[in-house]
Amino acid sequence: MPQGRPVKRAYPALLLPGAAVYLGFFFLPLAGLFRESFRQFTPGGVGSAANAPFTLANYSELLTPSFAEFFLETMRISLLASLTGLLFAFPLAYWLARRLSPGWRATAVGFFVTLMFLSVLVRTYALELTLGAAGPLRPILLGVGIFPNGRGYIELLVAGGLLHYIVPMATLTLLATIQNVDPRLFDAAQNLGAPGWKAHLTITLPLCARGLLAAFLFSFTFSISAFVIPMILGKGRVLFISNLIYNRFSEVADYPSGAAISIVLFAVALTIVYVTSRQLHRRSMP
Amino acid sequence: MTQLTRRHTLKGAAAIGAVTIIGDTLGSTRRAAAATEITAVEWGGDVVNAMKQIEAKQNQVKVNWVLHQGGSGAILPKIKASWPHPEYDYVSGWEGSFNGMVKEDWLVPVSVETVPNLADIPQKIIVKNAKGEWAAVPRAIGGIYCAYRKDTSPVEVKSLDDLFDTRLKGKICWPGPTQAMMLPLVALALHAGGNEHNMDPGWALMKKLAQSGNIGRIGVTDTDFSTSLTSGETSVGFYSEPQLTAVAKSFPVVRLTKQAGMPTFLYQSGFAILKNRPNLTATLAFVNHCISPEMSSLYAQVAGEAPLNVKAKTPEALKHLSFTPEEMNKYVYFPDFNEVLSQQDAWTKRWESEIAPLL
Amino acid sequence: MTGRALDNLLRLLGMLMIGGIVCFLLIPIVVTVVMAFDARAYLGPLPPPAYSLRWFRRFFSDDYFLRGLGTSVQLALLSATLSLCVGVATAVALDRGSWRGKEALTSLFLSPLIVPPVVTGFALLLFLSGLGLSNGFARLLCGHIIITVPYTIRSTLAGLSGIDGSLTEAALILGANERSAFWDVTFPLARTGIVCGAIFAFAISMDDVAVSIMLTDANTYTLPVALISSMRANFDLSIAAASVLLMLATLALILVLEKLVGLDRIIGQGVFR
Repeated sequence: MPQGRPVKRAYPALLLPGAAVYLGFFFLPLAGLFRESFRQFTPGGVGSAANAPFTLANYSELLTPSFAEFFLETMRISLLASLTGLLFAFPLAYWLARRLSPGWRATAVGFFVTLMFLSVLVRTYALELTLGAAGPLRPILLGVGIFPNGRGYIELLVAGGLLHYIVPMATLTLLATIQNVDPRLFDAAQNLGAPGWKAHLTITLPLCARGLLAAFLFSFTFSISAFVIPMILGKGRVLFISNLIYNRFSEVADYPSGAAISIVLFAVALTIVYVTSRQLHRRSMP
Repeated sequence: MTQLTRRHTLKGAAAIGAVTIIGDTLGSTRRAAAATEITAVEWGGDVVNAMKQIEAKQNQVKVNWVLHQGGSGAILPKIKASWPHPEYDYVSGWEGSFNGMVKEDWLVPVSVETVPNLADIPQKIIVKNAKGEWAAVPRAIGGIYCAYRKDTSPVEVKSLDDLFDTRLKGKICWPGPTQAMMLPLVALALHAGGNEHNMDPGWALMKKLAQSGNIGRIGVTDTDFSTSLTSGETSVGFYSEPQLTAVAKSFPVVRLTKQAGMPTFLYQSGFAILKNRPNLTATLAFVNHCISPEMSSLYAQVAGEAPLNVKAKTPEALKHLSFTPEEMNKYVYFPDFNEVLSQQDAWTKRWESEIAPLL
Repeated sequence: MTGRALDNLLRLLGMLMIGGIVCFLLIPIVVTVVMAFDARAYLGPLPPPAYSLRWFRRFFSDDYFLRGLGTSVQLALLSATLSLCVGVATAVALDRGSWRGKEALTSLFLSPLIVPPVVTGFALLLFLSGLGLSNGFARLLCGHIIITVPYTIRSTLAGLSGIDGSLTEAALILGANERSAFWDVTFPLARTGIVCGAIFAFAISMDDVAVSIMLTDANTYTLPVALISSMRANFDLSIAAASVLLMLATLALILVLEKLVGLDRIIGQGVFR
């Protein structure tokens, strides 16, 4: 990395457009939301009244075991889907980057890109029709002893639905990283006697740390804020945080409560993201 | 007829193309100069089809149709954000959405003077604002009741107790906390000896239902419900008219609107006219046109909600919604909507903490 | 078990897993195509008893959908482009040097993805309306930019990682200025990440519903919003037809790019090929 070179002077200026966009389109609106979350909601109104008093009630009513349960469930299923997604995407991306001829690679990338244009709503309904309780898989599942209407299967299906979105995204992200890893390092390790799997574990994976982190963060953040997938595949019984928020943005119109939940989710998730990035950053420093 | 040479056709096509592109870029297509243009928010599907046909039968007003995007609650934050300059002349809704708009004082009061056809609408059903004035114009009624698919349901449901039948494991689609004004919960309360003011018996029964494992899906949106039934995932439900009609179009559905022990609820669908808009007179005239006897019948025919105008004809397909006075007393329950609607927030939160974990 | 045997076993398992994943990914595509030709007016169990072109006919004959499509494409192109410019600039700035709080800032740039889209849309609606911005297209543009920028930033960062700083140094030593060093050395090597970011941005913009619902106005709406609004009582299979058409369009575009420029050159092959 260049150290103490005049090139560094340009870089703060490059941050300006990003800072402007984030400030104007995200942080300032979020501040407005933060303010709304402290307003009192009178049932029957639409959101808080113009001069509603400030209150902590929207936050204090979240201090219930059931709300914590929803949180944990969202985190649990998201984590499961993200890690599984990485587990699937890495070999896939590796195979794409190293083992395929350029022609086939273009086809495979084309496939993944096309997949990203399949509407989330349609593909989730498609999964429900094939793997759900009324699908052709039903007799097989019942035969194996899995009750397709049971909660365990539904949670699995939600994770599967998330995976379907995560794997293409993670694969393409990891493709970019793997292509920048010198394959000769792997060859060298093998020449020195390491078996393939060990060489990957100690050479390839650490060098892809940045890309793995990016892929994980994409997957995790997508999953915890997922709305359509848990709504359809969760059958209204497996609820993610965004489904709870959606309840408050309907005719019930309790926007302060919805805002409060969003702020809590934001704070918790941001902390997780920061801690994860930091840990990995520390781990990958020489 | 002008010559249909290739040159003429191409020239015509190019001209039409140019106008369409220009019109699109300007964000609105050209309107006839004579008619006033109003902007209305309607539901998609059959409802907007019905309304377009109704629009075609008059020429004072041209309507820019905006569709409800995912439930009638989605329009509310937009009105609130742009208040006091709303973008819409009227918003179609039902008790569930009228309540909020009335409390926020967004609506123009109506009366028989401004909307003459209101004289033929039963007054009891008209939503009133805080001052007792009529706040919305009802056009049709639908029902919220229990129904099941005759071809796939293992049980012929005759009372709410049948919902606990073990043969119905995973076969019930029950509406979620923001749907159908949570009236099915009120139905359970009534069955257990309570009512909308005393809901504890209803919650107890709901917990039992949740624990029984009979609920296959909790419907979170309108389409959720009908898709669940048409795909065969569930067979029994307690939901509202448009969804049950949609299912009934393709499958034999038994509608328990006149079943002893099974309460039926009626809701209205109608027009909420917003304040601070430039074309109030035109809007009122259009709304009046929509609730005339002929237009009410047309709406019932196409949109599938029973007409409210006493002079209109109820089509055959909606006979389950027409009640004689005795039937009305026996089968239909009129809750205190004020209570029901002001409790929606509390009931939603109670559902999330007590019922959702049991499902 | 010898290292070689374990290697072979893992390789076999890997291939089986890849095969399984590809099948899993293919299922919804196949089912969507089947749904798009389903003659029934509702979503019923598979397989459909009869097939028909009605949904495609409906899609093309309904001006409502086509207008939405036009707006969607314009919006996606514009927001993806702007998002890409902002994203690449930010990523380059974040990649160079190591200063305190860099990791925190990088995490912060991911934050729009954490907030559920319905909330982002709602917050933006309130904020922009407060500023007096009521034009639907402008509002939608703001919303789409903010939900796609995190992807362009992160993807570019992933693409930039591993590029040896000494390559840029070498270019500078050989006489290139900063800008030339970036465009001629760094950019081609990071191209995969940048292109992926652009693709993500475009795809997300085309598919977004939750943010768009909050930001449309009386005259502007996107295709996904139009498709959702047409479903009041029952599932409208036009959405399946629209999805098939969109995928076909993407496929066609990819084929054209492959023939004209070579997909490999666009996506890039990274440093080592």
